[in-house]
Amino acid sequence: MNLDKLQVNACLRSGWQAVDLGFLMARAWWRQIYLASLLPLLPLTIVLLLVFWQNPLWSLLFIWWLKPFWERLPLYIASRMLFDEEPDTWSRMKSLPLKDVLPWLLWRRFSVQRAFDNPVTVLEELKGKARRERLRILHGRYTDVALGNQLVCFCFELLVAFGLVVMLDFFTPDTLGIRYYDNFDDLTLAGERIYTLAGIAAITLVMPFHTMAGFALYLNRRIELEAWDIEISFRNLANRKQRASSQRAGLVSTIVLAGLVTLTIPATVDAATEHDHESARQLIESVLQGQDFGEERIIRKWRFKGWSEADEEAFPEWIIEFLEWLEQFKGWAEVLSNIAAWVKVLLVLAFAGLLFYLYRRYRGPLSRLGRRQPETTAPEVLFGLDVTPESLPPDVPVKVMALWAEGAYREALSLLYRASLSRLIDKYELAFRASHTEAECAALVRAHGIDSLSEYFWQLTNAWRRLAYGHQLPQSETIKGLCDGWTAELSDESQ
Amino acid sequence: MLDTRYRVEIPGGINLEAQVVGPVPRFFAFAIDLGIRGIIILVLSLLSIPLGSGGMGGGFFLIFLFAIEWLYPVLFEVFSRGQTPGKKMLKISVIKDDLSPVTLGASMVRNLLRTVDFLPLFYLVGLVTMLSNQRFQRLGDLAAGTLVISVPESAKPAAMQEVVPLAPSTSLLRPEQTSIIEFLRRSNQLSEPRQQELASILEGITHEKGDNGVEQLRRIGAWFLGVR
Repeated sequence: MNLDKLQVNACLRSGWQAVDLGFLMARAWWRQIYLASLLPLLPLTIVLLLVFWQNPLWSLLFIWWLKPFWERLPLYIASRMLFDEEPDTWSRMKSLPLKDVLPWLLWRRFSVQRAFDNPVTVLEELKGKARRERLRILHGRYTDVALGNQLVCFCFELLVAFGLVVMLDFFTPDTLGIRYYDNFDDLTLAGERIYTLAGIAAITLVMPFHTMAGFALYLNRRIELEAWDIEISFRNLANRKQRASSQRAGLVSTIVLAGLVTLTIPATVDAATEHDHESARQLIESVLQGQDFGEERIIRKWRFKGWSEADEEAFPEWIIEFLEWLEQFKGWAEVLSNIAAWVKVLLVLAFAGLLFYLYRRYRGPLSRLGRRQPETTAPEVLFGLDVTPESLPPDVPVKVMALWAEGAYREALSLLYRASLSRLIDKYELAFRASHTEAECAALVRAHGIDSLSEYFWQLTNAWRRLAYGHQLPQSETIKGLCDGWTAELSDESQ
Repeated sequence: MLDTRYRVEIPGGINLEAQVVGPVPRFFAFAIDLGIRGIIILVLSLLSIPLGSGGMGGGFFLIFLFAIEWLYPVLFEVFSRGQTPGKKMLKISVIKDDLSPVTLGASMVRNLLRTVDFLPLFYLVGLVTMLSNQRFQRLGDLAAGTLVISVPESAKPAAMQEVVPLAPSTSLLRPEQTSIIEFLRRSNQLSEPRQQELASILEGITHEKGDNGVEQLRRIGAWFLGVR
């Protein structure tokens, strides 16, 4: 097992995500996996169909019953593909299907998490008590997901089988008079054969996904238990440090050499680095014409065929015609002018109404225009946080602790932080501007000159920045301390 | 490298990431929604009995049936963060393929095309198209440019550990720092020998062996976590 060659991204996943990864694995290696499943399945299907020529559904039952058997070779192949290895010798593959096979075909045939348990038998080759112990460790919280996988894949099999039959029916002309599925209890022999073939096809088609999903769950559990992701990351780190140290050794000698060269011939170095204007311009132009800047792209899109640029430019003919047609109603001009007068009145009224509405709507801001603007208006929003005093609950620390206890960590700390900002604006009249960053706010508090306050606010800012941008949760004790600090420094009772 | 991760680079060089969701969880979400719709339809049909089955009652019932079949997923997806009740239970949601919230138009297209995905029987076409692309998009998703992703769960605070922080002797990149923090966070899930094995990989950094190496790494992890 060489983790450097692992073909999937080792990271902690939830059970469902692991199942999805399994589906992706089946997708990526479908050629090898289907080959590995068809190799034994196809000959046996033909033999069974011939044996049960008159009762084809029996062969379907056999194939279905032997499923644990078919799943082994694909699983083994996939375990090799996972580490980008060539499958082992033929002899090992040959012994594979027979390992511990009897329990799997009898009582374990009805196990609801076969796909998850399979790797322990096939890949770890454990039996009896050892196998039970191992499974007990592996199962953990994934039993539900393993069961869900089994259930859904069974549904998929049914869906594919019946879907194939229905599709066949769609494409069969009615005149042939073949009925496939209208009364299931009384199937014709032809109907039975079609159902059998569809069923075997469904088993073959769905099996890789089911097996790989179980394998991925098993893999996920091992990544979790053995911290594969950490190992890979540690190895990369160790390699990087090793490379860096060997490079450093090389670099030192290069620097010494370069130093000698610059000391001896400084004049030539200067001449080489200095460009005159003309050559610099040429250089810039050649760069601009390079691929990075001069990219041309062909964009195809749908456009109405009868439309052209010229049509859009031209003054529409029909308007002229319409105006000419209007000419004949000259006699109505008087009536029209009366109507026009009314329309004028209406327009004036509408305009007055609009003015009145605008006045009502923007009365607040307008009245503020007259007043002298203070040097800096207190911002209502800082870095997306509402810092108006109205938006705060009456007892901030209590509310913060309640939110924290509920698990709304982000909401809790953001409340504490914005409450502090709001208090700093209100109580200490600090001139925060909407363009300030968190650190700039903290610097303003420091400049205000109260040491305990600035110390407290710096701690709070750091905790907030770590959570907001770094997604690192502080300990509960820290929050408790920050809340106490808030009461001491910023609440109404303080000083 | 195989992964369920889906990544979009937005202007400014920031990468947004999401985990795409495959057929199995989506099947369950669909089944739950189907059950909920079934119950609503059952209740409505009982309510419409007094109105008479032939005329008014039948008409209203059919209109409601139409509305529920076609609008149920659309309304939930647009107004409930891309989550129908079934998706909410499975912690998955619909989102546009640039990872912006799903719009009314996109949701309509994706749900209208259910009729095609349903063919020939119970979403066989949908299943096949889902498995034929890397992002598990069914036909409706491909047409609407939408994805189904899993909703990330918020992390829980690490248990308070009595570790004296220690500054690392050398500079480390971000992912490397994260992995050392992970080592600290998960060290109670790992067996002792495994911890030592992992720590031995970084002997060049901790300059310690065995148990001391493990302890050193945990202390460095605490330093990265901001304990001082």
